Amino acid sequence: MPDYAFGILNVDLNSGVTSRSEVALNDIRAYLGGSSLGAQILFPWLRADLDPLSPEAPLLFLTGPMTGTMGTSVGRYVICAKSPATKLWGESNVGGYFGPELRSTGYDGLLISGRASDPAYLWIHEGEVDMRPADHLWGICDTYETQVRIKEELNDQLVRVACIGLAGENVLPIALILCDQGRVAGRTGMGAVMGSKNLKAIAVRGRRPIPITHPDRFMISRRRENINLRNDNYSRAAREVGTAGAMEYFHYLGDVPTHYYTHGIFKGVEKISGITVAETILSGVSTCHGCVIACGRVVRLKDGRDRKGPEYETIAGFGPNLGIDDISVITMLGDLCDRYGMDTISISNVIGLAFYLYMEGILTEADTDGAPLIWGDMEIIERLVHQTVHREGLGGLLAKGSKALAEHFHVPEMAVQVNGLEVAYHDPRGASGMALVYATSPRGACHNQSDYFMVDTFGHTIEEIGINFYPRQAGAEKAANVARLQDWRTLCNALVLCNLANVPPESVLELINDVTGFDYNLDELVAIGERAWNLKRLINHRLGLTGENDRLPGHLLKPLPDGGSAGYVPPFEEMLAAYYQARGWDPETGRPTSERLESLDLTERISDNRTD
Amino acid sequence: MAMKFPSEEYIHAVMEVLNNDQQYAQVARNWEGDIIFFVEPDGGVEGQDLPMTLYFDLWHGKCRQVRIINPDTEELPDAVYTLTASQHNYLRILRGELDPMQAMITRRLRVDGSMAYMLRNVPTVLDFVRCCGLVEIEADN
Repeated sequence: MPDYAFGILNVDLNSGVTSRSEVALNDIRAYLGGSSLGAQILFPWLRADLDPLSPEAPLLFLTGPMTGTMGTSVGRYVICAKSPATKLWGESNVGGYFGPELRSTGYDGLLISGRASDPAYLWIHEGEVDMRPADHLWGICDTYETQVRIKEELNDQLVRVACIGLAGENVLPIALILCDQGRVAGRTGMGAVMGSKNLKAIAVRGRRPIPITHPDRFMISRRRENINLRNDNYSRAAREVGTAGAMEYFHYLGDVPTHYYTHGIFKGVEKISGITVAETILSGVSTCHGCVIACGRVVRLKDGRDRKGPEYETIAGFGPNLGIDDISVITMLGDLCDRYGMDTISISNVIGLAFYLYMEGILTEADTDGAPLIWGDMEIIERLVHQTVHREGLGGLLAKGSKALAEHFHVPEMAVQVNGLEVAYHDPRGASGMALVYATSPRGACHNQSDYFMVDTFGHTIEEIGINFYPRQAGAEKAANVARLQDWRTLCNALVLCNLANVPPESVLELINDVTGFDYNLDELVAIGERAWNLKRLINHRLGLTGENDRLPGHLLKPLPDGGSAGYVPPFEEMLAAYYQARGWDPETGRPTSERLESLDLTERISDNRTD
Repeated sequence: MAMKFPSEEYIHAVMEVLNNDQQYAQVARNWEGDIIFFVEPDGGVEGQDLPMTLYFDLWHGKCRQVRIINPDTEELPDAVYTLTASQHNYLRILRGELDPMQAMITRRLRVDGSMAYMLRNVPTVLDFVRCCGLVEIEADN
């Protein structure tokens, strides 16, 4: 086995003591990096009685073996912890430039525990780690201002900063971590974990080379694959119209939730799609480190200032979901959430629930200080964003998330969430595979643990590894296919390879073997994803998850009255049973069987899989 | 009558279908753009009339012109789109064995032209393919 290393910087914020540890080579080979390796590293820490916002809760920043190598769209890193939103496994991966810069400091990951006595930020550079005061930033600077101030203080504009905003400081379970110009680790409340540690930011700057086992071979393979990726249809579409470029097509299919998942038609969709952004307000594009796709939008509104343009989920959340058909307003709301450090999927979802409850007469003007909640009322939506981050008025309830809001009004079935995480904006009635994706994702209702909507709507198959095409509203027959894509995306999250990068598996295999020297075959590579998926399942069982948690919210099991998926409901129970069978999980408990764990080289975890 | 693909008779038969199909006329009523289809030999081996270049001029739900272009003797029109695929993959699409969107996203069908316009007009694209599929192709093509 080659001598491939993965070094972790351990930081105890209680004492300020830091140390370096090396990940065991067997673990690197078994999990590679990213959230897969993160699950293996954090497994001993994560218990049911661990308060995710307590000092002893760990917060792990981890890169992948290709992060910073200029491989195909791999300039990413992941943040893992016990989620304050779900109380289960939490992870959120993000692009930008922070991950590659972290690796350039000589560390591949950063494991933070404890709580600083006062607001602080970490400064990691040239093998040194400083804990610096952040009182002058805490409660004062938003996520963008924080980056500017820290770079000024350190007198180096090439410093990369990951930080929280007011949402993280106020430990909202929907708080995110932001780096660079609007690249966010949005989901599962990682910003709240960081805020609970009084940690405002992490600044990194390094000049050390990224380890590559076969640099000459890798130079050839990465160059070839980057050229192929740049010319790929999907890449060119993402560059031209961003991630929201297919919004009109998704809407045509009934995949875009409207008015809190109650309708399938939004009349203003063509005013807010990525195509319209490209035709009207787009002033440039932005990329992550070494990425040839450039899906990031830079837009210019009437004030003449360039700012980050919204991506698909933000447009869908504030647009059809809340009824806004003005792309400038959506852009401003997205920018506001980024500055506060708040996940746009979750905040737009929880506001949507409030609107829905108001329409149903469950939430009244007594709860809203007399303001009616009318779809498309941008002023009240903006006000609720402000109130939420400050926990003021109705915002005090919204800040707890959709699950808590619905429980407060004794209508838990009305919240469109799974295990405490708000559902993203691809409707399982328009793309049935998403029913299983949302119900079984290790981090709650997430569309990025498996972007199966792309298989259902675009036919984005990967036949080489057994991911085939089924009609978008097929049922149980696609369950094994869903599981297979989950495994592949879990592998991608280990690398950490962007979901938008349409890189064939054989090419991924070549790249990873050139970097690590592990000489995997394709089956072994996919098995890494399946192993990690099951390990996260074991973690969640340890944290209290049972088969009863594998559910879809009631809204998504009612037929829509209109649109491209009107009248259809995914046959969820049949799909779930087929999914368990495909996974080798117990049909009653949903736990991985011992035989399946053994086959995945997880024998050592069988004793952790007890039900008693 | 079954026809060979690609061929002169095939593209004229498609033109006739397009110009007599009410659904296509409705769905494609806003479409403005001509398309060049490069049909490449399977496995890159030339012969049997391949590669071949087909031209369709599509305008507001009608097909105004079709023709086979000889790139050696004619200048290629400045078409809105050029689509490139092997004969095998075109045939799979036309026979309904391969979804056209799937072909695009899995690198079986290369698209050159505005991706924005293509994405805004997916229903038109799909209906154009439906009409093409209405022309029967020889079984041993």
